[in-house]
Amino acid sequence: MSANLLGTLVLGTGYLSLLFLGALAVEKGWVPRRLVRHPAVYSLSLGVYASAWAIYGSVELASRVGYGYLAYYLGVSGAFLLVSVMLVPIQRLARTYQLTSLADLFAFRFRSRWVGTLITLITLMAVMPLLGLQLKTLGDALQQLTGNESPTLLALFFCIPITLLAIMFGARHSHLPVRHDTLLAVIALESLIKLAALLLLGAVALYGIFDGPADLQNWLEGPGAALQSDVTRLDTGQWRILLLLFFAAAFLMPHMFHMTFTETPSRKALLQAGWSFPFYLLLIALPIPLIVWGAQRLGIDTAMPGAAYLAFELSTNPWIDSLVFIAGLAAASGTLIIVAVALAGMTLNHLVLVVRPPEKQENLYRRLLWLRRILIIAVISGAWLFYQGVGQHHDLAALGLTAFVGMAQCLPGLLAILYWPGANRKGMLCGLVTGCAIWLLGMWLPLLSTFSPMELLPSSLDWLLDEPVWYVVTLIALNANILIFILVSLVTRTSPGERAAAEACSVEAVIRPQRLPLTARNAEEFTHLLADALGPETAKREVENATRALKLSAKDNRPYALRRLRDRIQANLSGLMGPSVAKDIVDRFLPYRLGEGRGTDDIHFVERRLEAYRTRFTGLARELDGLRRHHRRTLERLPVGLCVFDEEGELLMWNDALARLSGIDGNHVVGAHRDGLPPPWDDLLTRICDEPHDYLYKQTVTLASQVRHLTLHRALLPPEEGDHGAMVVLIEDHSELKWLEDELVHSERLASIGRLAAGVAHEIGNPVTGISSLAQNLRHDSDDPDIVQTAEQIQQLTQRVSSIVASLVGFAHGGRHIQNTQLTLLELRPLVDEALHLIHLARSGEDVSYDNRCPAGIQVTGDAQRLVQVLINLIGNARDASQPGGLVVLEADIQGNWVRLSITDEGHGIDESIRDHLFEPFVTTKAPGKGTGLGLPLVYSIVREHHGDIRIDSPAPGQVRGTRITLRFPRPQEGEPQQDDSYPDE
Amino acid sequence: MYIYRIMLFLVFGGYLLSPVLMSGWGEPDVAWYRPFLIWGGLIALGVWLEQKRKLDER
Repeated sequence: MSANLLGTLVLGTGYLSLLFLGALAVEKGWVPRRLVRHPAVYSLSLGVYASAWAIYGSVELASRVGYGYLAYYLGVSGAFLLVSVMLVPIQRLARTYQLTSLADLFAFRFRSRWVGTLITLITLMAVMPLLGLQLKTLGDALQQLTGNESPTLLALFFCIPITLLAIMFGARHSHLPVRHDTLLAVIALESLIKLAALLLLGAVALYGIFDGPADLQNWLEGPGAALQSDVTRLDTGQWRILLLLFFAAAFLMPHMFHMTFTETPSRKALLQAGWSFPFYLLLIALPIPLIVWGAQRLGIDTAMPGAAYLAFELSTNPWIDSLVFIAGLAAASGTLIIVAVALAGMTLNHLVLVVRPPEKQENLYRRLLWLRRILIIAVISGAWLFYQGVGQHHDLAALGLTAFVGMAQCLPGLLAILYWPGANRKGMLCGLVTGCAIWLLGMWLPLLSTFSPMELLPSSLDWLLDEPVWYVVTLIALNANILIFILVSLVTRTSPGERAAAEACSVEAVIRPQRLPLTARNAEEFTHLLADALGPETAKREVENATRALKLSAKDNRPYALRRLRDRIQANLSGLMGPSVAKDIVDRFLPYRLGEGRGTDDIHFVERRLEAYRTRFTGLARELDGLRRHHRRTLERLPVGLCVFDEEGELLMWNDALARLSGIDGNHVVGAHRDGLPPPWDDLLTRICDEPHDYLYKQTVTLASQVRHLTLHRALLPPEEGDHGAMVVLIEDHSELKWLEDELVHSERLASIGRLAAGVAHEIGNPVTGISSLAQNLRHDSDDPDIVQTAEQIQQLTQRVSSIVASLVGFAHGGRHIQNTQLTLLELRPLVDEALHLIHLARSGEDVSYDNRCPAGIQVTGDAQRLVQVLINLIGNARDASQPGGLVVLEADIQGNWVRLSITDEGHGIDESIRDHLFEPFVTTKAPGKGTGLGLPLVYSIVREHHGDIRIDSPAPGQVRGTRITLRFPRPQEGEPQQDDSYPDE
Repeated sequence: MYIYRIMLFLVFGGYLLSPVLMSGWGEPDVAWYRPFLIWGGLIALGVWLEQKRKLDER
């Protein structure tokens, strides 16, 4: 082994080791995640497009056809400048249905696993020359550098670390749609290295060979002009065909499809790549003519065979040679890695799993992962074998163009996927097979033999004899492909499944999925059913992944949610084993209940899609969408509860007011069946549906532990042409109205009681006074102790009756006394003392203590007698509520313009349920016969007469039990009458 | 959507007129970097339209 060879091998393996280290740094998190996921990294990773063709092939092409080499860059730049029109729709499809390759996309759209298989076979056939080209440039470059006579073995040596890189960082997950951040970062690093290397080579040519741009221009106008005139110019047709081929390569080549759609971090990154990737290509294309002119200036014959490696001739400096070699190695290794990863996925999904479908087994993920790794090895081995057997005997242009022309046969099908829903499988297959047959005959076969395809050209096409073979083959193959595709599609029938898939793929159409019921009733049943196909562990994991992605609960039984869950599982399985196998599994194990439901459109889903596409509408569609949104917003913001059901009882709308009333978010119930709504709504809404009338008046329900009275109105929307029927239900909360009605009835009843009480008191008063007088006489007239005791008891009872009567009269006359009473300035503390003195006279409650903490000097304006009455009532209540040994505290203070007086006890407190009704007559917490229920209403009445108010706290602030009653009276102002001042009589 | 149409128009217009790009190779009266200038202009237009699209879809 010569020193040169050893050095080159060390250089190459050192570079690949650097990639390993870079990948490891990303894997271990040594590189910030923010940087790895930056859109610029994604744009750089797309630089995988710049394969060895960009390093060597472009130089060869530039030396032959001048600026014609730019077609390789401009074609793909055009596709990326049309990112919103061409790439975003494909990315949306790939993301939604987890389509990871061109074969997935075709199999999904044309609803046939055999379409996927055919596309995979065509891709394998087309890509092998491209992979062979990568290895050929690698072998040739090594031969150029080392003079070794076995370039194929040297290339094989480099295939080993490249395969390892592809397996380690491109086949980490069994799901292909999972993004490989490390792989992306490694490819971005390679793109950066090859760009830097080419720019340096350009600089060497411009400033090392020429003396800068001005010198170059002078040379071109002078001595170099003659050399340039020898360059053959591409004719317009050839140039346009080349542009078209490279335009198609942007999304048809497996490595470009993989990087553009499968590894996209976000739509924003893809949109940014729309200009940043063409900019990258501009930079990498810029040094190519400089290298050619530099070589010409040095006197090298650029028309010689092997002009691809002119860059090695720019300098005798070994570092420059190393730079060229590293640029080529970076380009070739990046392409080999990504093509191998992409082709392994395609081959697995559309060849291996189609021939041998997945069986029910525990380690499905592991099996798929290992299959993918084996296929990566197979692809790179196949590429080397192709290079060894075929590739090394052909020039770069022949190999590269065979690949690009082959893949371009899929272009009509791809455009039809996006823009022609009328296209069908038969048309696509006929066109594709015809185009590919011409391509195989015209370009592939000549690679293997000395066969000359131009001999087969019919005499009517003699005018094409002077054109290059690639141009003639592309022209005939693509035209035949397109023509047959269109004709067959127009004259044959499209299956309903294909039509539905066409709508899902079409850029202009909004998918209208049908609303069919499923056999499974919740996510748990999904797991159970799928276990028969995937094994219990895999089924559980797949269902969990899908429910997590959709943010659904395992118990969710909404038909809408279950349909979305089924779609998501199918999409996820598609990412795992391709759309054909995924569809077979889902159709077989998660079937729809046939014969039930009428398969009407899923309006809710359609609306969500419309929302997603909103910014893309123009003209009338935009106006109509604006109108639709306006009407929807009107219904959603309506201050009355509103819900809409379709003919099958599936909930279509649950507006904001109803969400507030029910406490149920619309997103959690829309799509549910009426019977599946949470109680009491299931029963309530079922009743309004079954009701012969169009309303249900004041239905009593309990919502959030509160009794509510709801009135429901129903409107039936009969089916019309192009529209399905529905039922609208309006729900009004009449609880407030019902409460007001009850209050009114209650007040009326109280007023009647008051009037009755006044009359009764008047009638009872006189006889009671008579009974009391007679009992007193009896006590004085008799010496018999029994009679005296009886008389005393009669007197006590009559006093009680008199007290009740007085209370009744007081209550009945409430609010009228103030007009006849005199208001004076009163000291609070003596008033409290007087009330306490009177309380002490009573026999009960001797064991309760009282503490008058009212400071001296606090005054209120009022009627002393009535205020004492208030205090006696409140202190009496406090005493009655207190336990033996309890303490009742009376405090007073001034707060702003108010005087506050509080009575705090340590008693049993007041029950919350009765607190709001304490000031109503006949409401009492005391045992029957102990209280009349008129004391607090009287207190309230007197306090209001004094322009004060009452507040009740139970338990008392700062205590665990007891009650505090706080009275507030207006603070007397200065100059207010001191005494004997009264309101004038009316 | 109108912006997409502008881009579509520009790219297909560019496709039809692109043979002009090839005509300058080594010609005395044409600066060697002219194709790259035109290409750069198209990218700048792409950047500008991308900004407009962001504003339009905000």
